[in-house]
Amino acid sequence: MRPMRRTVLSATALACTAVLGGTVPAFADGTAPSPVPTVVASAAPSAVPSEEPSAVPSAAPTRVATPAPARQRGQVAAVPAGAPDTGVTESSSGSGSEGALVGGGAAAVALAAGAVLFTVRRRATGE
Amino acid sequence: MTSLSRRAFVTAATASLLAGCGGEAPHRTATAAPRKQSASPSTASATSATPTALGRSVPVRLRIPAIGVDTPLLALGLAADGTVQVPPITAHDRAGWYRYSPTPGQVGPSVILGHVTVGTYGDGVFRRLAELRRGEEVVTRLENGTSAVFTVGEVRTVAKAEFPTKDVYGNVDRPELRLITCGGPRSGHGYLDNVIVFAALTGTTS
Repeated sequence: MRPMRRTVLSATALACTAVLGGTVPAFADGTAPSPVPTVVASAAPSAVPSEEPSAVPSAAPTRVATPAPARQRGQVAAVPAGAPDTGVTESSSGSGSEGALVGGGAAAVALAAGAVLFTVRRRATGE
Repeated sequence: MTSLSRRAFVTAATASLLAGCGGEAPHRTATAAPRKQSASPSTASATSATPTALGRSVPVRLRIPAIGVDTPLLALGLAADGTVQVPPITAHDRAGWYRYSPTPGQVGPSVILGHVTVGTYGDGVFRRLAELRRGEEVVTRLENGTSAVFTVGEVRTVAKAEFPTKDVYGNVDRPELRLITCGGPRSGHGYLDNVIVFAALTGTTS
């Protein structure tokens, strides 16, 4: 009987610790986010609206007011990556033949390597 | 019996540990997201008196009398790799307006691109762009019949590796224009630099 009681007691105690273990992070969940969003929320709205509305209505008359809200993030809807390639030199038009040469060379090397492998294997198995 | 209780203890301990670990992860993502928003607003330069901004109307023609440019305009988008599309390499190439930028005369940086050279075809439409000087005029005619007249404020030659994305595509508080081509020393495939003309709206004609 005693061992049974012990095990029952220990099991309940363990269950309680498990539940507590689960609830402690839950409390941490409840308390931690509250300071974070309040700080950010108070800072973000004050910084963002004060700059944007002052810039848009002052410079843009009523006509521009319609497209402006659609582009709150930027006047350029999609900012391209990198620098534009707006110049093709005469020499670069010949890059195709250069590429063909390089490709042909690589193919020849691969073929030679394959042939060597084949002969080595053949010799090994033939003997 | 004792082995059972040990097992129960071990499972309970691991469960509580896991619960503790899992709880923290979302906070980091939650705090990281608002920071980006607070950093996003870009700078807006101070302005003098500028003419009234125009409504949205796609540009159809570009004239730069000082360097003999008179070209129809294409509409350019984004390439698959995220870079800006450029006009096709043809004998009589045309310049192109980047359609994700404001139309000329709208508040913001309107972007027009053209080639400096077009391979074996020779000179491109923006061959002489680097010769533009401060105070010279650039005229864009819009689809609705009005023209936006811009005056060059600056001509910059920059290394492609240090392309000033913010200066070119960043927000401004008046109607501006950017003309972009290549320039500088030639490399095997093209050019090492970009020539960028910064201009501001100084007049409109209907």
